[in-house]
Amino acid sequence: MKLVLYSGGDEEDNLQLDRAFIDLLGKKNPVVTFIPSSSYLSEQEFKSFVRHYSKFKITRFIHFPVDVPFDRILFQEVMRSDAIHLAGGNTFYFLNSLRKSKLIKELRTFVQKGGLLTGLSAGAILMTENVEMAANPQFDRDENSVNISNLSALNLVDFAFFPHFKNSARYDTFFKKFTRDTKKVIYACPDGAGLVVSGAELRFVGSCYAFSNGHKFSIN
Amino acid sequence: MNPVKKSPVDEIGKRSYPAFSRLNGEHPFKEQVPQGRVEYKARYKKGGKVSFFNFELAREMGLLAKNHPEKMNPELEREILETFSLVIINEYDVINNIKFPEDEIHPHTYMATRYLQLQHPDKSGRTSGDGRTVWNGTVRHNGLTWDVSSCGTGGTKLSPACNINKKFYQTGDPSISYGCGLSEVSEGLETLFFSEVLGRNGFKTERVLAIVEYDKGLGINIRANPNLMRPSHFFGHLKQNNFQTLKQVTDYYIHRQIENKAWEQTTFKNDKEKYYYLASQVAREFAEVSAKFEDEYIFCWLDWDGDNILMDGGIIDYGSIRQFGLFHAEYRYDDVQRYSTTILEQRQKAKYIVQCFAQIADFLTTGKKKSLSHFRRHQVLEQFDKHFANAKNRNLLQKMGFKKKQQDFLLQTQLPTVTKFRKVYSYFERAKSKRGVYKVADGINRDAIFCMRDIMRELPQIYLSRESLLSPEDFTEIIKSSYAKRTDLKLTVMRKRQVNRFQNLYMSMVKAVTKEYTQSQGQFLLELTMRSSVINRYDRVTGDSITYIVDKVQKLRPKLSHDELYQLAQQFATYQDLDPDQKNVTTIIAPRHKTIMKGFYSIVRDCREGL
Repeated sequence: MKLVLYSGGDEEDNLQLDRAFIDLLGKKNPVVTFIPSSSYLSEQEFKSFVRHYSKFKITRFIHFPVDVPFDRILFQEVMRSDAIHLAGGNTFYFLNSLRKSKLIKELRTFVQKGGLLTGLSAGAILMTENVEMAANPQFDRDENSVNISNLSALNLVDFAFFPHFKNSARYDTFFKKFTRDTKKVIYACPDGAGLVVSGAELRFVGSCYAFSNGHKFSIN
Repeated sequence: MNPVKKSPVDEIGKRSYPAFSRLNGEHPFKEQVPQGRVEYKARYKKGGKVSFFNFELAREMGLLAKNHPEKMNPELEREILETFSLVIINEYDVINNIKFPEDEIHPHTYMATRYLQLQHPDKSGRTSGDGRTVWNGTVRHNGLTWDVSSCGTGGTKLSPACNINKKFYQTGDPSISYGCGLSEVSEGLETLFFSEVLGRNGFKTERVLAIVEYDKGLGINIRANPNLMRPSHFFGHLKQNNFQTLKQVTDYYIHRQIENKAWEQTTFKNDKEKYYYLASQVAREFAEVSAKFEDEYIFCWLDWDGDNILMDGGIIDYGSIRQFGLFHAEYRYDDVQRYSTTILEQRQKAKYIVQCFAQIADFLTTGKKKSLSHFRRHQVLEQFDKHFANAKNRNLLQKMGFKKKQQDFLLQTQLPTVTKFRKVYSYFERAKSKRGVYKVADGINRDAIFCMRDIMRELPQIYLSRESLLSPEDFTEIIKSSYAKRTDLKLTVMRKRQVNRFQNLYMSMVKAVTKEYTQSQGQFLLELTMRSSVINRYDRVTGDSITYIVDKVQKLRPKLSHDELYQLAQQFATYQDLDPDQKNVTTIIAPRHKTIMKGFYSIVRDCREGL
């Protein structure tokens, strides 16, 4: 399994994670698919995405919005691509669109078959068991505008991921309580930091934090 | 407060919005073309409130300061109402000696202009023109003069109802609809949403400056454009052989075009050169616009009267405007007495208009009016055909995602390939359903079966990913629309050949450009991918979608402020801006608007292949 979970931030912030992404790709002339969280003005995001990864000599990209119908041919190309990137945005809307377009299972299969899946912010949360981290904490959460109650997501990893983390007391208080109550492990990453999963190995890039059973640990 | 500005000039300097005072009924056309208009006294119309104001346009016109916030204030609202909330005192009022308080009557008269309209029995423009519109005046800012007119300001004697029934009507007479002189807010909203989108996408168009709302959904819709003259303003006088007024209209129009720097040539050796230059300008504008209408699937009911379109090919009167999602080339609007033209017939109607301008140029130069058929082989018509073919080629290259300089290169060096590609493109674009012609809500149609936007959007990225051409089966899978049935999609030998031809010609143009600009094919296909994904966006607005969006806005409107309506219209136009070179747009949408906008997106998606 090959995954890269980005928290957020700009191009310079994510240089290390990008290098890890390129290493995991390990292929010349790869095809990378960009899946925006919403098709609304996503062409602009796609442009920025292309501009950024062109610096790593990637030249083959596919733009694949999932909240509008797509045809079988383009979908086949997406599934044949070497990497798929799930962009940032509203996590609930994105999850709902993936579910409606029946892509949850397809993306899991893509990863199982050795495809590299990357996600930024909402896209990274979607790789975990569910999108609870988009619904919490109350003072920093996505609006569930699509009113979905089933929060289960791709379930590719056994931890929760919290992006855009700010190292502050109110986040600490919330996450300590949350992990104590749920017995889950949360990796919270500020912008520029993130996680790289390669097979059984989990690597932390940048200053990350782990919350487990009511405790906070600093990583890197 | 006095509802009417009796001395607007004296008040300049004391008012925060002095430019509005110029919109007082005075207009140069009144003096320069005395037989081209009818003048009416007007009075303040009570009970109005501003339901929409276009801050961006008002700044462009100099009505607001550059730094004016996009927020209504009581003083601005009062200014808008004092300027635009008016109703004419028409023939019915005068004949019936209806008295109005003196202090409610505006000091200047307002004009309704005369123009040819085919629905009038007279058919020569003696009785037709602005039936429920008056012109508020002009404003000049940054070297541009703008015309402003208001629709829904009362019934004039130029309305069809007056002339068909041979009587004058009181404004608001419930026994007639169109002739009663009133307008509905929904008409203004439809024009607003449609014109803002089309304006952003390179169409010349009237724009909505403001909407003033009254009880029962009635409203005054205020429109603006740098020149609101239509071909029909000329054609009435041409039909009547009225040399003097035709010359006045023509000179008036030319003067405005020169004043607004709308023409390249601004000085002329003599009248002959001037009038033929006008004819050649009309040939170019109408060739380009009719090509664009065809290529963007715009249905604009062009007909021999030259109504429904501005002199520069700008869109006016959105009541009959539609944008189709596919090339529904056999759609005809059912106007009770007759069916409209189709998209493909627009070109001939546009050419007819150009022919009339050749006739006008000759008439004004020689003083003798020759028959129209005399001009059927005139060189301006040849110019029209040349411009039309060139515009069609350029429009297609633009849709593919080529930049301007790449388009120029292809048109100069690869014209046969471009032309062949256009032919095969048309083969798919014009393919029709075996279902045949059938009735739709407001007319008849025969469905197009292929969605060209889909193939143009996906082709470069699939080539980029596969590094090979598509099989006819895969090509059909992408291009098929929801209207296509299995029998429509049968892969005949001919169709398979056309699929291969399409792709080979496409790639041959790509290769020519990459060779010229020493770019790798991959890099260039990527560039095309990014550009064509914007140009051929999955969800593009259609006429039906605008109708449903306006219905939705109407339902929401009791709770929508004018500022909110303005923001929604702006956000919608940004969402529908298909310019691949647009700068990064960061739109901050208020949480309350997000749900509304999502509703709009969903409507556009649902209607994307329709009428």
